[in-house]
Amino acid sequence: MSRSERRIDRFVEDLLTSRRPRRFHASPEELSAMRAAIRLRAARPGADVPDPTFVDRLGRRLRREMGARAPRPALSRRRLLVAAAGAAVAGGVAGIGGERLAGRPGAGGAARTGRRELVPAGATWRPVVAIEEVADGEAVRFSTDAVEGFVIRRSGQYQAMSAVCTHLGCVLQQADAGHLQCPCHRTAFGLDGEVLSHQLPQAPPALPQLRTRVRDGQVEVLTA
Amino acid sequence: MADAEPVERPSLRVVKDDCYTDWETVYADNVAGVYRLVFRRLGNRPDAEDLTEEVFVTALPRLDLPAPIASVRGYLHATARTVLAAHWRRHYAGPPVTSLEDDVRVTPPPLPDCEAGPQTARLLARLPDRFRRILELRFLRGLSVGQAAAEMGVTVGNAKVLQHRALRRAAELADEVPDP
Repeated sequence: MSRSERRIDRFVEDLLTSRRPRRFHASPEELSAMRAAIRLRAARPGADVPDPTFVDRLGRRLRREMGARAPRPALSRRRLLVAAAGAAVAGGVAGIGGERLAGRPGAGGAARTGRRELVPAGATWRPVVAIEEVADGEAVRFSTDAVEGFVIRRSGQYQAMSAVCTHLGCVLQQADAGHLQCPCHRTAFGLDGEVLSHQLPQAPPALPQLRTRVRDGQVEVLTA
Repeated sequence: MADAEPVERPSLRVVKDDCYTDWETVYADNVAGVYRLVFRRLGNRPDAEDLTEEVFVTALPRLDLPAPIASVRGYLHATARTVLAAHWRRHYAGPPVTSLEDDVRVTPPPLPDCEAGPQTARLLARLPDRFRRILELRFLRGLSVGQAAAEMGVTVGNAKVLQHRALRRAAELADEVPDP
């Protein structure tokens, strides 16, 4: 392998493991291959959605810096909610200054913990499994055209969540004792979607939840 | 499958007067769009977060609000292009990742409601089978070189060479398929 090939190889490895690529003086040919790699990396569904934690953190920094410049303008709460909803739909629950501005009311932890909730554009309610198929404390896999997911039943409540690992997008498998296991890098999620264990430099985010309801004996999920 | 019951969905963007009056709304409404723009030209989260931060820290104090939504977005876009160009010069001594001419427009940039998938799928579809396969396994499914090699029934060395050639070929084709 040539030096140039090794550099591209390393660049690709960095992209695929979400590391910051190292600097180097790239030839036009190398730049071209790097662009193709970036384009492919960005095409993975959800790859280019910002982490809600980052959105929160930057919002706090901006508030500190902008607050020092001028008094905060009067802000209508309704208007802020409408604006924040844009970011929420993009995949993150946006908050400014640590406030939670959008969240799902009712059961589940989304509103409380700021967990991502997936509501695709043009979504409608779709039945995914019959309630009797899901025993308490268990997860049942389902697939629609738009989403790979699990329906979880805990204490009689049904909650659907993504079955795609938040690290690199591998589809999770159900392991023993209520664990959802990623076959790629051994990350394990609990039935609440939180990370139980991982071997990565940084814990990946919790599994995004899907809006869920029960109708006519079916668990329904809001999805495209 | 789906019932006809209307689904409560939040509005996607501020429409009142088509103007932004405060920076909080500018941020909340555009952070995802700026991040998406930047990520698609960097491909990695740490750099995309740094540059997104740089865009807002630079641009917000310079905004004279209230201002029309379109011009605010145009300004954010222009700032993002400048920041990206500086990053590429600094890190790789090269021009920005894609021809950014398509971004030079006064109209608002697309908010993050479209996936980059279809264009890339078209690009992949034009590659020979083995090239397409290695890129799908690595980039879209996130497999390691070893896993991808096992899946394709080749050695790790072969998989690396294949990946390299596939990327080169994809780079050539990318010039013909417009970037998302």
